[in-house]
Amino acid sequence: MNFNPCMKHKLVRKTVRNFAEAELGPLAYEVDKEARFPVEVIQKMRLLNFFGIQVPPKYGGSGMDSISYAIIIEELSRVCAAIGLCVSVHNSVCIYPVLRFGTLDQQKRFIPKLASGENIGAFCLTEANAGSDAGGVETNAVQDGNHYVVNGTKIFVTNGGVCDLALIFAVTDFKKQKNNASVFIVEKQTPGFSIGEIEDLCGMRANPVSSLFLEDCRLHKDFMLGKPGDGLKIGLAALDAGRIGIAAQALGIAQAAFEASIRYSKERYQFNKPISSFQTIQNYLADMATEIDAARLLAYRACAVKDMGHPFGMEAAMAKLYCSSVASRVTGLAVRIHGGYGYSKEYDVERYFRDAKVTEIYEGTSEVQRMVISRAVLTKRT
Amino acid sequence: MKNILKIVVCIKQVPLVSELPWDSQTGTLQRNLSEGMINPACKHALEAALRLKQKHGGHIVVLTMGPPMAKEVLYEAQAMGADSGILLTDKAMAGADTFITSYTLAKAIIKKCPDFDLVLCGCSTSDSETAHVGPQLAEELKVPGVANAHDLKLSGKTLRVKRLSDNFLETLEMDLPGLVTITTQEFLPRYVPMQGIQKAFDEANIISLNAYELGLDAEKIGTKGSPTRILNVYPPTAKKTNIILRGSPEKIVEELFYRFDDKIGGAIGKDLKTDE
Repeated sequence: MNFNPCMKHKLVRKTVRNFAEAELGPLAYEVDKEARFPVEVIQKMRLLNFFGIQVPPKYGGSGMDSISYAIIIEELSRVCAAIGLCVSVHNSVCIYPVLRFGTLDQQKRFIPKLASGENIGAFCLTEANAGSDAGGVETNAVQDGNHYVVNGTKIFVTNGGVCDLALIFAVTDFKKQKNNASVFIVEKQTPGFSIGEIEDLCGMRANPVSSLFLEDCRLHKDFMLGKPGDGLKIGLAALDAGRIGIAAQALGIAQAAFEASIRYSKERYQFNKPISSFQTIQNYLADMATEIDAARLLAYRACAVKDMGHPFGMEAAMAKLYCSSVASRVTGLAVRIHGGYGYSKEYDVERYFRDAKVTEIYEGTSEVQRMVISRAVLTKRT
Repeated sequence: MKNILKIVVCIKQVPLVSELPWDSQTGTLQRNLSEGMINPACKHALEAALRLKQKHGGHIVVLTMGPPMAKEVLYEAQAMGADSGILLTDKAMAGADTFITSYTLAKAIIKKCPDFDLVLCGCSTSDSETAHVGPQLAEELKVPGVANAHDLKLSGKTLRVKRLSDNFLETLEMDLPGLVTITTQEFLPRYVPMQGIQKAFDEANIISLNAYELGLDAEKIGTKGSPTRILNVYPPTAKKTNIILRGSPEKIVEELFYRFDDKIGGAIGKDLKTDE
């Protein structure tokens, strides 16, 4: 067991940190305030292959390991979590299932444009009556010869407003109560596919989260990912990978809040002393540092298990559960350390606080993570 | 390899500026405590090499001397687009002054890249700022050298070099092989692409050489072989004195010019005594 980062991971961190601080740093406040997706930076990120992190080089990707992936998401999110989110969702819950469950033809057709970032991907499970309950999907796909006709509405779609391609979960077998859903790869230009208004959210405001509408979208059966009825299996596998990304994202936000707190506590004087000299603040900082380190180790362990080719659902759920709760706690403490300024938009910790909250909600709420973990520990032989 | 442009870029790993820990007791940098990075000017030199390669084709070898961890900067250089790397590492090489550093680098270049066309170096390093190594290396290699360049144009085997010397923009030409040191004025280094990093580690083309493999006498390199030694390093102390000039405005201005005409003249680029 080696806890020291290798040269590659150090270089990945340094490189992405440089990029994020130089390119996203000056915009992070403004894109949050204006809820603007910074296409000008996205264009630079395309050229640096941020959109094909784990895609094999034969499809134009970087073919990196999962720890490198997590470090990239962490470092982007440390500066601008909404863009970390865009890259995470695109790489994990959109590309990963196509690579894992897609046919060779589907991979050749869709992956190169996703890996280059020419196409931005989305993942659409959530509906008005389905989310944590993946079985509650009401979007339906009726077979018509070699085609399926898809109808339904997806909500809270990350990258929705800018996506070129979306994985859509739809019921295909109306007789069955279970395993009745399938996944379709839907391109933006498909007739009947449209994008709803951008949501006005509390955090991650630079990410254009929206609804997606499917009205009589005719899709050839070649656009189905996996087999009919594989929807839940593909969805859960995608979410396992996605949770590593969200864990990394939460880590990045927590790290940013922690660093801001260290800086501020040394600069802020009360009673003629920097507030870092008070034991209460020191205790806060000690707790933040400890929890972030523990969270990071959990996240990287999930990555390592995934890269070994072992099932990693429980590890990813633990990482997501813990990292997101650490992000919420750490950003909360950061606001307290900053006092009134922490409650003001003048300071970044206010944004970190808002951004952190959703990491406990999307890609499986903390309650769902506990369900996944408890199922795994209860079925383990002891 | 015969007709292609062969460029050697000498780079140095320096402590990350933002984390530069300083030991006030010993007056030295605590290099072991800080993260390393490619010296900024060396990175600009590498960018200059990459642009020459983009335009003319070629092969770029990056060369560094340092502890085993200095291999990091060779990976980074390869991730940016360099073709291969050479690490000179040996305890006997440690503590070399600029003269012996140039000597050691020259030995490595002569041994491993004898048919080089161009050697590029950063003009100086952020952790010592001597600017000695590049020009001394040109001497060791017995090739023409230009320091502090910010623009390169290659035409056949002739390199046109632009540099700022004092306030003059000089354009110089040299026949290759030659050596140029690059400032941070131009050649803004590119971002490292993710696939570049992965490729650098998958297809690492880095060799490590020690003093024995270079055929160097351990007594003539490193601290032992260095003719100069740093006796002390300390932050400069600036003495400030406030001078109050009194009297009528005309008298004060006259007095001001009398006392400080050289400084005022320097600032406005005019010799106030001759008015030229």
